[in-house]
Amino acid sequence: MSAKDFHPQVKQLLDGELTVADLPPELRAEGEAALRILAAVDREPVTFPALETRVMAQLRRRAQAPRPGFWGRLRLRPWTLVPAFAAGAALALLLFRPITTPTASPVTVRFVLFAPDAHQVSLAGTFNQWDPAATPLVRTGTGVWSATLMLPAGQHQYAFVVDGARWVADPGAPAVDDGFGRRNSVLSL
Amino acid sequence: MKFFGGALLLAIVAAPPTLAAQQDVSTRLGGRVPPAIAALVQQLANSAAAHGLPVDPLIQKAIEGSAKGVPADRVAIALRALAGQLDAAATDLREAGPGQPDTDAIAAGAFALNAGLSNRQVTTLATASRPPYSVAATLRVTSTLAAMGVPAANAVDLVTQVIASGGATTEVLGLPAQVMAGVSQGHGVTPAQAAAGLARAAAARAAAPGQSRPHPGKP
Repeated sequence: MSAKDFHPQVKQLLDGELTVADLPPELRAEGEAALRILAAVDREPVTFPALETRVMAQLRRRAQAPRPGFWGRLRLRPWTLVPAFAAGAALALLLFRPITTPTASPVTVRFVLFAPDAHQVSLAGTFNQWDPAATPLVRTGTGVWSATLMLPAGQHQYAFVVDGARWVADPGAPAVDDGFGRRNSVLSL
Repeated sequence: MKFFGGALLLAIVAAPPTLAAQQDVSTRLGGRVPPAIAALVQQLANSAAAHGLPVDPLIQKAIEGSAKGVPADRVAIALRALAGQLDAAATDLREAGPGQPDTDAIAAGAFALNAGLSNRQVTTLATASRPPYSVAATLRVTSTLAAMGVPAANAVDLVTQVIASGGATTEVLGLPAQVMAGVSQGHGVTPAQAAAGLARAAAARAAAPGQSRPHPGKP
């Protein structure tokens, strides 16, 4: 069965507009099969060991380099640092606010949507300030749209934007109430 | 002169964080929301920051609502609900132990409440998540399981069983993928059934002789 042979209600399932439970019994097997096809697309995080190796090698080189004395590195008299410390402390007080700093490496994630009738698909979520213009997906020949992003570890919410107006949850991902009567897809890295 | 210096220092210490927070919220909103929503976000963010709650989820929700074309009054309702969830999550986390919970854990707790977990379940997960387990990560995993269709009680049971069995932190983080694999490989297996199977396996492992909580350094 080619991608375009799916029943229109199955296509709605793939677009996130219906759930399997919404399908008539005779279409549920087809719907589950279609979801399995999409689920088979690689969504696993990808790491770059070569990059890690290069970074660690660079860190080791820096650690092994001969180091001048503390004041030699600074080329300053100790007393000249007093105003600098005062300014630094004031700046810290000025800018202090609760923040969370991501500590893990970014993860590469591939997003996929089956939307053969769409003219344009993009991705909007917490990782791009919900900007529908920020992350367009690329269409492949079979009606599948995809985009690959590097995302920080943590939890992200997102949705696909079809033809610039229709917000569609990812049928292959968990979803939660968005607070506006729709669903946001959830990605945990 | 001394008085002037002291007053200046006090002004530097007391006033600028609020000013900086206001500028940050305004900059982050970047004109993407109506003025009334921007004012509401600013008000909620000031209150949240004063109570040690994260501000970012409020900014994100306002921008999300406007991007989706949601009417301003509906966005306002969602923002107030989210502010309430952040506050409730902080209370739940404080009940799990002394000290102010970090903003990441509070945001994860609010998300867990939105995903269907109860206040008590958030506290239970925070209590179970002693180092090396991260409270925020544990809450995110459990709420992701709930979003997948695993009943909240089953999701909490699965995560706490894996922790009790001494599972590595990577095992906890991988639970949603394991449940998804169980659903896709089994014939008609529901997320709840897949989660229950994993929980039983973890409980059996925890009951095995010599099994205990993991060493703090265990990845």
